[in-house]
Amino acid sequence: MPYSFPLGPYHPALEEPFKVKVQCRGEVIDSATVEVGFSFRGIELLAQKRNWVEVITLIERVCGICSNTHAMTFCMAAETIAGIEIPKRAAHIRTIIAELERLHSHLLWAGVGAEDIGFHSLFMEVFSLRELVMDTLEAISGNRVNYGMNCIGGVHRDIPDPMRYLPALDALSKGLAEIVIPTFTENPTALARTRGVGRLSREQAVEWAVVGPVARASGLDIDVRKDQPYLSYAALGFESVTRPEGDVLARVVVRALEMVESIRLIREALLSLPAGPLRATEGLPEIPVGEATIRTEAPRGEAFYYVASEGGATPARVKIRTPSFVNIPAIEAMVTGQPLADLSIIQASVDPCISCTDR
Amino acid sequence: MNTVWSYLIAFAVWPGLLFAAPLGWLELWFMRKLVARLQGRRGPPFFQPFFDFMKLLGKQTVIPRGVSRGIFLALPLVSVGAVTAALAIVPLPGNPVPSLPGDVVLLLYLMEVPVLCEVLAGYVSRSIYGQVAAMREALLSLAYNLPFLVAIIAMAQEAGSFRMSALQAAPYGIVHLLAGVTFLLALPARMKLNPFSIANAEHEIVADSHIEYSGPPLALFKLSHAVELVLLTELFAVVFIPATPWPLVNLLVYLAAGILVLGGVTLLATATARLRLAQAFRFYWVWGGIASAVTMAATLVR
Repeated sequence: MPYSFPLGPYHPALEEPFKVKVQCRGEVIDSATVEVGFSFRGIELLAQKRNWVEVITLIERVCGICSNTHAMTFCMAAETIAGIEIPKRAAHIRTIIAELERLHSHLLWAGVGAEDIGFHSLFMEVFSLRELVMDTLEAISGNRVNYGMNCIGGVHRDIPDPMRYLPALDALSKGLAEIVIPTFTENPTALARTRGVGRLSREQAVEWAVVGPVARASGLDIDVRKDQPYLSYAALGFESVTRPEGDVLARVVVRALEMVESIRLIREALLSLPAGPLRATEGLPEIPVGEATIRTEAPRGEAFYYVASEGGATPARVKIRTPSFVNIPAIEAMVTGQPLADLSIIQASVDPCISCTDR
Repeated sequence: MNTVWSYLIAFAVWPGLLFAAPLGWLELWFMRKLVARLQGRRGPPFFQPFFDFMKLLGKQTVIPRGVSRGIFLALPLVSVGAVTAALAIVPLPGNPVPSLPGDVVLLLYLMEVPVLCEVLAGYVSRSIYGQVAAMREALLSLAYNLPFLVAIIAMAQEAGSFRMSALQAAPYGIVHLLAGVTFLLALPARMKLNPFSIANAEHEIVADSHIEYSGPPLALFKLSHAVELVLLTELFAVVFIPATPWPLVNLLVYLAAGILVLGGVTLLATATARLRLAQAFRFYWVWGGIASAVTMAATLVR
């Protein structure tokens, strides 16, 4: 007998409120519908009512995980309108923070994914590794969630002693290489829950317009860091990671290898941190009439910002398209025909950020 | 001593509720502590399972609208009653209950009652999560009962009797070893531990089939689970560990064997992810089936 099964909006498998409502026949999912908007905050409208400095603080709260990405992308848009070029040291520091943020986001995801397949020990391991990243971010910025590093024209805080953070990166590399990656890719029970599960073919990935690790796990080699390098990515020689399989395991592997690449980027950036000022401008920025679109690679995929200025104290328009906003609908395609038991891990494999989506 | 009194003492005192409940809490604490230490956590204090039970006793009981009050409240009571009665039959040293012909059959029947109660609890809850849990529980019991029942039946065949005391006294041989392994195979699923914990997968169906239970009825279900742990581990020890002529030594060996078995299944649980229902089912019908066939063959070859 068919029945409908709601996952969410409040459910142990979700960190944030959204809803996947599935129609099941026995243990098999017939169809699914995704609902979002349970915590809509209207940040785009609020951004038109605050001045250029206040908006950075507001925008940083679009997301609690990729907070830096949003503030940074907004600042990059404002800098583009004002024709400001940020100092090299600031670009390096922004890159370091962005990659640390990617590490902590991916580790958080890996932990949640482990929990969703009932692997509590792996969750504990991953979260103890994540603490290393959080401690590093806290040591650099003084904050664990909203780092407050970005300002229009550069960054607020310096990294005076880059070598101090290398041991944490070494420990992280070791933990990833010896525990997290082997457990996900070799433990028979973990493989049984991820291999061949929630498949999204390359064609479907194009059709549903997914971005980020989800797209790269379906064989689409799209990454803004490679396609349109910004900050210091071109100088540091970024290499993207893709897998052709399109299943949950491929998404795990893509994120795991991206973490390894992030560690390499951070280490390179710390070692080659150029001398120089932190900001290109002093005092409050003046943003002339103009508009800009900026794309950056957030941990979950491409973040798109359109910012327009009429020369006033506030932005005229801030349009935010977050990666989760485009990835979440693809859950419908992934779960159809799959066992109900896999619903949690499949929706989690997209790494849906509801805070971003309900911006 | 009057037979009725001996049954009452076996049910209520030893090896029944008065001793089984603390022993069950001890075993629960041991498992939780071991998992925590393995995961680099501190783990719960010694009395935590007892605190959990007492706290639940003091909470309000909420009965969902449209659910029959009688059956909703009866299920946990029946579950605790059945599992304790089953434990009272196990010939632990000092058990006052005399051995009955065919008590193995009664034991196996009583051991199925808590499972039945859980399935019914899920179905009467009117919650979709509870119903999915109940369906999973029922299907999983079809899977793990193959090796579980075969292990006990093979021992009965070996001993030539369906009497628990005969199983306990059977001369030690290869069948003990094979049937013991087959029994252990079924244990993680019977205890609802990883990798066979699909029926209580909180990340899919929020909780197990007791999802709508709260307060004292939930405490009773938890108690039933604790006593079931004691029952399963001590049943393993009594049937598969060779007995010595000294009852006190036997008791210590049985308790130690129980803790060892729990340690083993806990290690397995910490090192695995949760398998899907179909995967768990396939595991039990393939590997459990092979183990069962080998065990039965060994009893016939003799």
